[in-house]
Formats: sequence, structure tokens, C-alpha cells
Amino acid sequence: MKLDGRALLVRIYIGESDTWRGKPLYQAIVERMRELHIAGATVLRGIEGFGAHAHLHTTRLLRLSEDLPILIEIVDAEERLRAVLPELDEMVDDGLITLERVEVFAYRGPAGAGDGDGDAGGTEGMRATGEGGESAAHRRTDE
Amino acid sequence: MHVVVIGLGGFVGAVARYAVDGWVSTAMRGSFPWGTLAVNASGSLLIGLLFALSTERAVIPAELRGPLMIGFVGAYTTFSTLALESWRLIEDGAWVPAIANLGGSVLLGIVAVVAGIAIGRAI
Repeated sequence: MKLDGRALLVRIYIGESDTWRGKPLYQAIVERMRELHIAGATVLRGIEGFGAHAHLHTTRLLRLSEDLPILIEIVDAEERLRAVLPELDEMVDDGLITLERVEVFAYRGPAGAGDGDGDAGGTEGMRATGEGGESAAHRRTDE
Repeated sequence: MHVVVIGLGGFVGAVARYAVDGWVSTAMRGSFPWGTLAVNASGSLLIGLLFALSTERAVIPAELRGPLMIGFVGAYTTFSTLALESWRLIEDGAWVPAIANLGGSVLLGIVAVVAGIAIGRAI
């Protein structure tokens, strides 16, 4: 997959304990983006924040440290992401979604990468790691 | 439901305190409140460890944070018993042990939290 030049960055702000059909929402979103062969997604955990309800969540006070903020950043070509937005809109009940135009300077993985996880034609869009601090490695095979 | 799970953590924590405090208090001679010091210090170590593992590193899932840290450790440690036992020492004229208990508990608690967090970050 090539990703170069102009692209769209979707930022989704949700809470740690938001769920979608029984699993954590951030996990569901990353898995879905991966299924759709989106170029990449990264999940970051915030240590403090508030949103539409003006409830403060912070690691500084134990009682308020539940449901910490989660930020998911998704990057791909604008047309591909715009096509996915309605689905994201449906999944995010409670949160903020913003769109930014970005310029991709580099999008690459180790040369000759392809780890046989079943993607058609050996194309690697991204890989999501397990529970502990989800992140995505951006990869590109030689086309 | 989340509140119930927190309550269950509290149940286990209080029973654990009862057991540990009881064991330490009968093992030690004299009237210094070693049992309370033991649960407060070990509880502080544990809460530091849980903080690092659940909040900083997501090794422990977010929904267990409350039940473990607020429920279990919250019930396992005790501030009220610290206050009561310190006052009883003062009432009996044992000022030095009272101040040692109060100051020592706080100091040991902080040291234990720092140690717990350090361990949680390292493993």
C-alpha cells in the first residue's frame, strides 16, 4: 500500500471504558480499520481530560482515574477515510471526532516486510498489538 | 454493578486486613501497633504496583482498577485504626511511640508507594 502526499487524519477521543458490542470501543475501532485495510491506526491513552459531560478524569486522583481518555489516530487517503466515517460515527456514541488534512512525509516499514497474517496479496496495511497500550506499526510491502 | 464489584474487593480487603493484622499483632510482643503498620505499608506497596500496572501500563484492565485499588487496597489499609491506636499511645503517655507510629506510618507509606510504582514500571 502506498501512502504519500496528502492524506486525512481522523482523531477520535473516547473513554477507556466505552464498549462496542462487548469489547472495548478502541479495540473494535482498530480492528475494524484493519479489516478495511486502512493504512494505519494508533491508540494512545491520556492521563487526564474532560469532554462533553465536563466530568474530569485524571490519574492524579484515584476516584477520578477510572475511564481515562483514549485517543485513536487514523491516517489514510481522504477518499478512503471519508468512506469509513459513517461507520465510525455510528460506533462513537460519546466522544469527539475531528478531521485534519495532513501531508505524509514517510510511510514505510522494514524492507521486505510481510508477516503472513492472511492479508490478501501480502499487502500489509498495519498491525495492532495486544491489550497493553495498543499501537500500530505502519508497513508497506514493495509493490 | 461496578459498585458491587468494588464492594467485593472491599470485602476481601477487610478480611485480609483482619487476617494479616491479627497474625502480626499476635507474633509481635508489646503494645506498639505493628499489625496496622504492616497492612498500611504492604497496602501502599501494592497500590503503587497496581497503579503502575493498571494506569501507566494497561497490564491490568481498566475496569479492575476501582475494585482492586479502591475496593481491595482501600479496605486492606486503614487510616482510622492508625489514628485510634496513635491516640491510645498518647493517652497512655507513650508520646515517642505515638509520634513514631504516625510519622513512621506516613514515611513508610510513601516509600512503599514509590517502591511499588518502581517495581510496576520495571517488570
